[in-house]
Amino acid sequence: MAEIIVVTSGKGGVGKTTTSASVAVGLARRGKRVVVIDFDVGLRNLDLIMGCERRVVYDFVNVIQGECTLKQALIKDKRLDNLFVLAASQTRDKDALTKEGVEGVLNGLKEMDFEYIVCDSPAGIEKGAFLAMYFADRAVVVVNPEVSSVRDSDRILGLLASKTRHAETGERVVAQHLLLTRYNPERVVRGDMMSIADVQEILGLDVLGVVPESDTVLAGSNAGTPVILDPASQAGQAYDDAVARLLGESVPMRFTDALKKGFLTRLFGG
Amino acid sequence: MAATPEDLFVPASGTAPPALAELRFGALGVGQLKPLSADPALLFAEIEARVQAAAQLLEFAPVVLDLSALQPLPAAPAVRALLDAVHAAGLRPVGLASADEATAALARELDLPLFAKFRAQREVAAAIVVAAQSAVEPAREPVPTEVAARAPGQHHAEPVRSGQRLYARGTDLTVAAMVGHGAEVIADGSIHLYGVLRGRALAGARGDASARIYCQNFQAELIAIAGQYRVFEEPAADLHGHAVQAWLEGDKLMVAALH
Repeated sequence: MAEIIVVTSGKGGVGKTTTSASVAVGLARRGKRVVVIDFDVGLRNLDLIMGCERRVVYDFVNVIQGECTLKQALIKDKRLDNLFVLAASQTRDKDALTKEGVEGVLNGLKEMDFEYIVCDSPAGIEKGAFLAMYFADRAVVVVNPEVSSVRDSDRILGLLASKTRHAETGERVVAQHLLLTRYNPERVVRGDMMSIADVQEILGLDVLGVVPESDTVLAGSNAGTPVILDPASQAGQAYDDAVARLLGESVPMRFTDALKKGFLTRLFGG
Repeated sequence: MAATPEDLFVPASGTAPPALAELRFGALGVGQLKPLSADPALLFAEIEARVQAAAQLLEFAPVVLDLSALQPLPAAPAVRALLDAVHAAGLRPVGLASADEATAALARELDLPLFAKFRAQREVAAAIVVAAQSAVEPAREPVPTEVAARAPGQHHAEPVRSGQRLYARGTDLTVAAMVGHGAEVIADGSIHLYGVLRGRALAGARGDASARIYCQNFQAELIAIAGQYRVFEEPAADLHGHAVQAWLEGDKLMVAALH
């Protein structure tokens, strides 16, 4: 039975697509059958990060509109043969996605024996983001250590608790995981970035992982290699730890350093 | 930003054609619905959309039907059809607003109570209004005993997150979790918060000045009681992070740490 994981955030530019790519690769490297879907119709990016942009023939919207089969649209990863990408359409807009269409594609993927379906959500809380989260069993909420990202994540967590299929049927709750990215321990010590504790306290959730700010993320994106595949990158190792925790393993936090004084503590004198 | 009952009404979204009905709530929490069209199907669609948009606030809300915008006044079967449409759309019509003799006659014919307090807007001669009031008075007297019945409080155990709004109609609200930045908790009675309050809390939303707000860890953006509000632009040094209660003294909103 496939598990649907949505990677979402509300705010743009926090690292959703980077996270989707690395989580999908991390799961696949552990032997799982994984497909990662780009829900950002009109602003297709996932294929670039995954390094398969020149092999996109059919996309998500083509499948929904019956212009090709699901099998034709799935792009097999060159590095891992149990990993597939379903690209977004660059020439359509988000209205091309419908609830029935998305459900049909997800059901089709479940029948193809995938174990994990990773949905890369667009920014915002409009139709694309809504449909990316609607069918999810779990959510990875990507948050940066700054106030606007934290507030948007709070909003998304509220929507996950009320506007998803599981929430509407009341059968179960969507499991919520917080992933803190672009974390810079030095800036936290200086007091101009929120600490892990600050973010956890405001959102009332523990973090699944903390990915340090790193130049290797940008380099990997430009090269079409998800950062998790870079063994020398701290960000890559942090993503691998997060994937292990997602699968229920207990792994200690790394690259976070001991923190003396957080942003809120400084602001309000704790 | 004030906590007057009117503000609680969320209009139907979208740029639909002009509204087919007006809906407003008074101090009793009973709505006044004024149809601007006598077509039950149109009225149903309009009200259903509004109830859907704010189910927590509007579903099963009692309303008094004000027919003053309909000219000529519809006959009893047509009004019955309107009442059925309103009921089917999720509101609960409880009577007619009295404007004139004709409405009073209609109410008798439909066996519905007449509400003189909800004066229809096209008031005719003062004499007629007085007559209508005196007509209902005997019926109103035996009612009060039922008002004393205590409504059970509303309890919520999940975090209230940014953009969410929780409303306890006609009763107290208890939240055993945090209320995030940009979230709103509203009650007609008092509000009890056992988590951090970072958003807004509005007690006595329909004018109950005796309502209070109790909060375990106060970091609020705004609090209000019966429309008197206070914004906390800067964290209040003596209150921030402390257990706090707020109440009204006359028109003054008092906030103090609980010791």
